[in-house]
Amino acid sequence: MGRVMGDDPFEAIVAAHHGEIHRYLARVTARASDADDLSQETFLRAFRAHRALPASANVRAWLFAIATNLYRNHIRGEVRRRRALAAASTDGSAADPGWPEGLAMVKEASARVERVIAELPLKQRLAFTMRKIHELDYEAIGETLHCSGESARAHVFQALRKIRRGLDDLAGVPTESPR
Amino acid sequence: MSRTHSSCRDIEAELVAVGTGEAPPATVQVVEAHVAGCAPCRDELRQYRALEGLVADVRRVPLPGTDPALARAELEARLADLRRRLVTFGIFSSPLGPILIARSAEGVSMVEYLESRVAAASRLAHLVGLDAVEDEAETEGLYRDLLDYLHGRRTRLDWPIDLRLASSDFQRRVLQVTSRLPYGAVTSYAHVAREIGAPTAVRAVAQALRWNPVPIAIPCHRVIGSSGDLTGYAGNKITLKQRLLTLEGVPIAARRALQIERRAMYVRYLAEGEYCLPTCGALESTPLAQLTLFGSRARAEAAGLAPCTDCRPDLHPISA
Repeated sequence: MGRVMGDDPFEAIVAAHHGEIHRYLARVTARASDADDLSQETFLRAFRAHRALPASANVRAWLFAIATNLYRNHIRGEVRRRRALAAASTDGSAADPGWPEGLAMVKEASARVERVIAELPLKQRLAFTMRKIHELDYEAIGETLHCSGESARAHVFQALRKIRRGLDDLAGVPTESPR
Repeated sequence: MSRTHSSCRDIEAELVAVGTGEAPPATVQVVEAHVAGCAPCRDELRQYRALEGLVADVRRVPLPGTDPALARAELEARLADLRRRLVTFGIFSSPLGPILIARSAEGVSMVEYLESRVAAASRLAHLVGLDAVEDEAETEGLYRDLLDYLHGRRTRLDWPIDLRLASSDFQRRVLQVTSRLPYGAVTSYAHVAREIGAPTAVRAVAQALRWNPVPIAIPCHRVIGSSGDLTGYAGNKITLKQRLLTLEGVPIAARRALQIERRAMYVRYLAEGEYCLPTCGALESTPLAQLTLFGSRARAEAAGLAPCTDCRPDLHPISA
């Protein structure tokens, strides 16, 4: 038999990127079970589609784009569900936006940053996470969010300003001048 | 906030860029020059730099409650399942017309003569339980093998075969026996029926071969009627059967039907280790159900047979 059936380049893609995509989704969903489901779905979709990917494609950015799209669809579904539940019931807990709880951080300062990040508008939060946590370049982030690299950069800078302002009145960041 | 100068507002974006380490050297210079004389902006810059440190902490701190290893294991299980079901296929032009070749992780699962691409799509839609994805690159190597075969440059397609598309164990047994028929040889449906231990199931064998999912690679074209007629092939494509057999050196004549030239072929009786002249002993009147016929001595010997020591086909070959 001259040919080995079943040697699959996709295995290398999973090995190289699953950990990071899972971390990314865990961070943006702030719920481990959502991260498990969405990362699994990300790679199952990628598996079906990766044959059509040009050899020159940035696989990592492509995976981030799939994961981000799935997450955004997921939130839309969540919002719809929450609204439906809230309309059907006067029980406040049903309308409780469940995320971003569960991010009990070991370090207090970074926990504060996490809290401020969680309050950011969606696009800024995603752009910030991809840039500052996963260090994707702006072009890739732009493709993921269906905007230009420049817009992606603007989202990240907006996020940085808001985070800095959010931390402004907290004592964790040393300042030169008293205010 | 006391950053009220217009120069402070102008420089704000650059200041963020410098603070987070993303600014080019020229911008760094401009910002450094500004903050040297502006305490509030200096403070601002310091805070952005401190923020970078906090973000680095966020990056390092593991996320609570997540188990990527478990998630990975679950993903691998789903992928394994998907891989088992996934079939990739390509559609190619061949001397026998457009042809579809499909393979799974386990082997070649389908070779199909096509009337059109539309026919291909509808055929694939019927592959229940299988995910089918078009991928010419995955199947192109198989296509090249096939072209070599059809141009006589090779006599075997040593492909791993995936018989999950076979409809029953009976069909799988028929296909397995058929796959052992050597190049350049023919035998009858009755012989195959005998080989699988169901000597009366001749029609069922013919049906099983009619729906052979991997023709050519499983050489059902080497199985003919007991009368020597070629009978059917892949429905009504009997001329393809003729072409494939002619390629292998099997003599065929057009009489009332397309028929092999039994008198021009060497003969193996049942599973004996020798091949004979067609006139040896009672072979002329022996039913095809007990025989395998070869188009040439070379083919018989390539199948591992020795010349019969009675009729000596090596000394008295059939004259053309």
